[in-house]
Amino acid sequence: MLKRFAGWTLSGPATFLVVLCLVLPVTATIAATFGSAKGPWALYQAFFESGFRQRVLWRTLEIALITTVVSVVIGFFTAYVVSRAPPRWRSVLIILAVFPLLTGVVVRSFAWLIVLGRNGIANNFFVWLGLEGAPYPMLYTQGSVIIAMIYLFVPLMVLTLVGVLENIPDDVIEAAASLGATQSAIFRQIIFPLAVPGLIVGAVLVFTGSFTSYATPQLLGGDRQMTMGTLLHQRAMVAFDWDGAATVAAIMVVVTLAIVLAMTRIARRLNPMAT
Amino acid sequence: MIRRLSPPLIVFAILVYLFLLGPLVIVIGAALSDTTYLTFPPQGLSLRWFEKIFEMSAFRRTIVTSLQIAFASTTLALLIGIPAAYALNRYRIVLPSWLSTLFVLPVLVPEIVLGFSLLRSVQVGAGVPVLIALLLGHTLIVLPYCVRVISASLASFDFSIEEAAISLGSPPAKTFFTIVLPNVRSGVIAAFILAFITSINDVSVSLFLTGPGISTLPIQILAHVEQFFDPVVASVSVLLMLLTVAVMVVVERTLGLTFLAK
Amino acid sequence: MTATAPLSLANLTAHYGATKVLDDLSLEVGAGELVSLLGASGCGKTTTLRLIAGFLAPTRGSIRLGDTDLTALPAHKRNIGLVFQNYALFPHLSVLDNVAFGLKQRGIATSEREARARRMLDRVGLSALADRLPGALSGGQRQRVALARALVIEPPLLMFDEPLSNLDAKLRIDMRVEIRQLQRANGTTSVFVTHDQEEAFSISDRVAIMDAGRIRQLDTPEVLYQRPANAFVARFVGFENLIDLRVTARDGARVTAEGAGGATVTLDQDQLGAIPDRFVLATRPDGLRVATGETGLPCTLGLRTYLGRAYHYQAETPVGPVTASGPLSQPLEPGGTAWLAPDPEQCCILPPEPA
Ligand SMILES: Nc1ncnc2c1ncn2[C@@H]1O[C@H](COP(=O)(O)OP(=O)(O)O)[C@@H](O)[C@H]1O
Ligand SMILES: [Mg+2]
Repeated sequence: MLKRFAGWTLSGPATFLVVLCLVLPVTATIAATFGSAKGPWALYQAFFESGFRQRVLWRTLEIALITTVVSVVIGFFTAYVVSRAPPRWRSVLIILAVFPLLTGVVVRSFAWLIVLGRNGIANNFFVWLGLEGAPYPMLYTQGSVIIAMIYLFVPLMVLTLVGVLENIPDDVIEAAASLGATQSAIFRQIIFPLAVPGLIVGAVLVFTGSFTSYATPQLLGGDRQMTMGTLLHQRAMVAFDWDGAATVAAIMVVVTLAIVLAMTRIARRLNPMAT
Repeated sequence: MIRRLSPPLIVFAILVYLFLLGPLVIVIGAALSDTTYLTFPPQGLSLRWFEKIFEMSAFRRTIVTSLQIAFASTTLALLIGIPAAYALNRYRIVLPSWLSTLFVLPVLVPEIVLGFSLLRSVQVGAGVPVLIALLLGHTLIVLPYCVRVISASLASFDFSIEEAAISLGSPPAKTFFTIVLPNVRSGVIAAFILAFITSINDVSVSLFLTGPGISTLPIQILAHVEQFFDPVVASVSVLLMLLTVAVMVVVERTLGLTFLAK
Repeated sequence: MTATAPLSLANLTAHYGATKVLDDLSLEVGAGELVSLLGASGCGKTTTLRLIAGFLAPTRGSIRLGDTDLTALPAHKRNIGLVFQNYALFPHLSVLDNVAFGLKQRGIATSEREARARRMLDRVGLSALADRLPGALSGGQRQRVALARALVIEPPLLMFDEPLSNLDAKLRIDMRVEIRQLQRANGTTSVFVTHDQEEAFSISDRVAIMDAGRIRQLDTPEVLYQRPANAFVARFVGFENLIDLRVTARDGARVTAEGAGGATVTLDQDQLGAIPDRFVLATRPDGLRVATGETGLPCTLGLRTYLGRAYHYQAETPVGPVTASGPLSQPLEPGGTAWLAPDPEQCCILPPEPA
């Protein structure tokens, strides 16, 4: 039919690009992990037999999990304040959250290099306080990676949740109040349940984002706190072990897809408005 | 009016905002420092590190490359993304539902995996030149923003307006430009800006695709930081922040600040 | 003044995907005539208009306007004036530019098209608003702009898709008079889609009653209202009681017929026209009178409702539940027994419904 022809023609170039430059290359990368001469699972065996690589995987999962939980909590309460702030403040606060979000990952991670460095502002402060043992080595620790990651994702969480919270109509809240609900009852029984789908969407974004990040762990964790992202880069570009890199890539894809699918399932289950 | 917020919550939000903005202020301070090492608060104010950026050819070159790639990839993504978004909305019933999923794949697949795969298959495998591979990679990662933002605009566009124009004698292709496009203008501007910023800031895809003599600014920053701990990166960061501010001003002028609040 | 032409739809069949939405639909609209398509939501009225306008291709059948075969002509070359339910004004163009849009497509010089657009706006009483954007107009004003925009190109055919359904009740009546007057004055062939029976009957020369992608009857409002041709149309125009009957005896013009449960009625062919052996007697509630005179159809009275000019009763009869009416002077109590007599003035005889 004519419409089908028009539809495919118009979406054709974009479809072509995505298939040719994304679907095929990524499929090829994943397929390559099964092509080892020592059998289809040999590369995965090698990955999981290496204590170092296993530690990288667990560390990355741990960092992503902590980052997600902390970002969700901070983001939710901040978004609540923003969404309930007087209109003029509200737009200022939103702009102040958009600004870091639009400022790149590299710049925002670099900022923590200045803060946490040996001569950084934090250590200068500790020395000034006369703390025992200051300055402390804070860079290249798991903590520094986590702090920078939280810093990276809180604005995203705030903005996602402000949108969700603002979609809760005022009259619903007023109805609850008219029925005798206290502020905290409204918060716990109306606002929070209605925000759950948004919280899950935000959590998925943060988890997958931190699980696959590169620049932040590279700058703040270095070789000492290698994560899946930096390991992938190290395998591919330093060790030229493309099979190893492809294995890391495949595991990343599987974990990401599993999280996305699982969380959308859960989101559907937990959505109070699902039919 | 249920706008009363408890004081502890307000204090909490203030602390969060200090946390969000403090480090960026520190970067600005460090960039203005007169010292040869990174420090805050700045010791002696000077703009010498800003001048230094333009004395260093690596930065000069990568700034130009980044801007070129961002412009080219955003333009390309819009050129293929606008028709795709239009088709997805206009011909939804005759197109398979997986097609719209296809266009969000670039955000679903980890960027670093995409970067590595492009290196394997496109750059090395197919022998595509560095600059082209870089352009394709960036087009891919900004395409979802273009398709999604413009789709959202089109979703609220009443297609009977387009039919009205056609019934009045305007040919379909012309109608798209005179009637449809002007009504999704804000979506196109927003998509352009989001895509541009995304491309400028990209690390994970560029990481694998930059080659000898061709690099982007974020990759150059990473490389520089590995070797030197001087304030030049802080001043480059300030430049990038100025770009962000400029973008936000443009958005404010064209779409209104309420747009950012969405 | 305007070129006008008859419209002819022949055997139109249309599908959305695999779903058939129009089924072998044929329709002739005379030059200068206004025909309404009337039917419940989803029966295919909009689809019919979209086929004529060229936004949808028929799977089968043809569309002719005057001497031109439109079937394969692209939409933008069909020269048909369209008025949409949601107005479909160009939000980014002023009222004047909206109205002038069609003239611009026809390559008419700026000064002339502005003059013609202004004259048209004058006719719909909107000259003062020429420079506004559509967003700054009320619903009624927007629909007037849409009307002006469709009329100014002087199309041989005008089509309206539920143009009044977004307006409030008072405005709706004013606008439909206005549309009819403009249409009459221009003598433009018109197809008017609505799901509002009163609207269709008041505005049209003829009305096509549609159901499930087919036209069930096409006739003048008077004939449709008084002599529906089949059970579907009868129900649509308010014949609530449809009683299946079989003739048992004929005595000249007098016919005795029996229904379910052995109930019998006597009817007069002189009043009702020829009665076949099997038929359906259709009445409105007002055509089935409640009496206590022990002749006609026995029934048990149920709920009584007051309608100002009469009472209506829900009644149980051997042939099933019916709605009947009775005079205000004699309210009857629910639960009592009464007899129902059909009023030949308000009855009609229909062919039996296929099982
Ligand atoms: N774009 C579409 N895709 C699929 N089915 C449609 C579409 N538009 C209408 N239909 C179906 O076609 C039938 C007729 O629709 P329509 O002509 O719009 O009815 P009406 O205007 O009489 O309310 C309906 O059952 C409707 O669900
Ligand atoms: Mg309709």
